[in-house]
Amino acid sequence: MATITFENVAKIYSGQNEVRALDGISLTINEGEFVALLGPSGCGKSTLLNLLAGFEKATEGTLLFDGETVTRPGPDRGVVFQEAALFPWLNVWQNVIFGPQVQGVARADYEPRARDLLKLVGLEAFAGALPVQLSGGMRQRVGIARVLAMSPRALLMDEPFGALDAQTRLSMQQLLLDVWQSLGTTVLFVTHDIDEAILLSDRICVMTARPGRIMRTIPIALPRPRSIASLTSPEFMAYKAGIMSDMKV
Amino acid sequence: MSLSTERLSSRPATSPAPGFASLMLSPARRRSLRQGLLALVLPAVVIAVWQMAGTDGSLFGGVLPTPDRAWQAWKVWAFGSTGLSLNPYSGTWLANLVFSAERVGKGFAAAILVAVPVGLAIGWNRIASGALDPTVQLLRPIPITAWLPFSIAVFGIKDLGAVFLIALGAFYPIVVNTAQGARDVERNLIRAAMMMGAGRWTVLRRVVFPASLPSIFTGLRIGLGIAWTAVIVAEMVAVKSGLGYVLWDAYYVGRMDVVIADMASIGLLGLVSDRVILLIERWALTWRRLQSFQS
Ligand SMILES: Nc1ncnc2c1ncn2[C@@H]1O[C@H](COP(=O)(O)OP(=O)(O)OP(=O)(O)O)[C@@H](O)[C@H]1O
Ligand SMILES: [Mg+2]
Repeated sequence: MATITFENVAKIYSGQNEVRALDGISLTINEGEFVALLGPSGCGKSTLLNLLAGFEKATEGTLLFDGETVTRPGPDRGVVFQEAALFPWLNVWQNVIFGPQVQGVARADYEPRARDLLKLVGLEAFAGALPVQLSGGMRQRVGIARVLAMSPRALLMDEPFGALDAQTRLSMQQLLLDVWQSLGTTVLFVTHDIDEAILLSDRICVMTARPGRIMRTIPIALPRPRSIASLTSPEFMAYKAGIMSDMKV
Repeated sequence: MSLSTERLSSRPATSPAPGFASLMLSPARRRSLRQGLLALVLPAVVIAVWQMAGTDGSLFGGVLPTPDRAWQAWKVWAFGSTGLSLNPYSGTWLANLVFSAERVGKGFAAAILVAVPVGLAIGWNRIASGALDPTVQLLRPIPITAWLPFSIAVFGIKDLGAVFLIALGAFYPIVVNTAQGARDVERNLIRAAMMMGAGRWTVLRRVVFPASLPSIFTGLRIGLGIAWTAVIVAEMVAVKSGLGYVLWDAYYVGRMDVVIADMASIGLLGLVSDRVILLIERWALTWRRLQSFQS
């Protein structure tokens, strides 16, 4: 678990035509908090997440992870990608143990944990399958399991369920709620789905585009533990109406 | 203790259909059989026409032997007694084939050992690319045939000259394709590996290399074709053994039947070695094959 601090962060992509992807981002995410970044396509959600992941460097401002400046990617910040980004030549089991393996963790330490995680995401019967033999939802579950195998202090998720059908997405959201409820890891979750943001998070940061800024921050006080049944409660609907008018949709 | 992936992936055995059903070929087997027969039609027609066009075992006033004469020549070349035969080629086929194959093997192996690491470096590292790629591109347009005098001058009429030419010829396609493969690795795969704590060396070994394997194999197959070209050229000029040497020597003494048999041998050997690479590729790239449209 970890604290994340953005202080006046800006990101400019230089090139033929400069893009000011993020501007004046100030945001603190507390230990164990679940924060959703919500906004239209192109508003800089992925950019913000990539800065925190260490995949890109901020042009201005400071970005702290547990009080330390972020300089490069690392296993303390587990990233779940939209398209899973599993290694297609490794089977499910090998993908899940990749992290601990390259970090030199002893086999006896990571194997039981990896096995538990495969069971947790319901894929113990597919340990020997290649990613190409899995459905999109199953691939995403492997993506989550391989990140959890490293016991990261924070989870960074970039529209992890964006490419899934509605039904699969619901079951994945339920899975994530369950996992988070038991682990309590800090999560930064990027989405453009209002329902998803409300259902999962403690706080929603609504972003605007060009330049990408955080327009509003909305605390979600729905009771925990939540489940996908919360999606139809009156409180949920009230949050949704408020955000929709904010975003002018 | 260990989670056995083999156990999990194994399927319950389906009992084979007994008796009558096993006499019939599966649709897939039938299709591949038909493909095989189809492939043989054109060569059979060409050989038949060639055979029938000849009179007294030759065409064009004795210049070109008919296929049956070439076949006869090959049998003597392959199985004739060596010793004090009047025919200098008698019984030397296998030995010459082994000479050529050995040179190709050595040259090709040397090419792989140098070209794959260099290609990965060029594709993956900007400094290596800047330092190595221009030189490779500068030397690449020089055909291996143009290297012949250089090779003979430096290595003499020896094996090493032939191996050098083969390695050089196979080097370029392997290095170019490997570099391309390393450049094309999906960005998110590299990011994922770094996110999981992999250093640059681990990323190269465990992500860039396997992701480049499809391109590497493309390079290997092109490179092997060039290796066979190179060995024949080198043996015609720079050494005194091998299929290339026999080819030129037989032509020189007017044994066109041996020339034809030699050409066929080279073609067959090239085909077989290409199939071997293809088999290794299919084994190494199962993940890739499952992704493709055809499977
Ligand atoms: N590598 C890059 N080079 C130049 N411009 C970029 C780059 N990556 C993103 N951008 C630009 O930065 C802006 C924000 O992009 P970003 O990918 O962060 O948006 P997003 O909110 O994640 O959108 P989506 O919901 O579609 O994924 C866009 O205008 C995009 O064109
Ligand atoms: Mg995005």
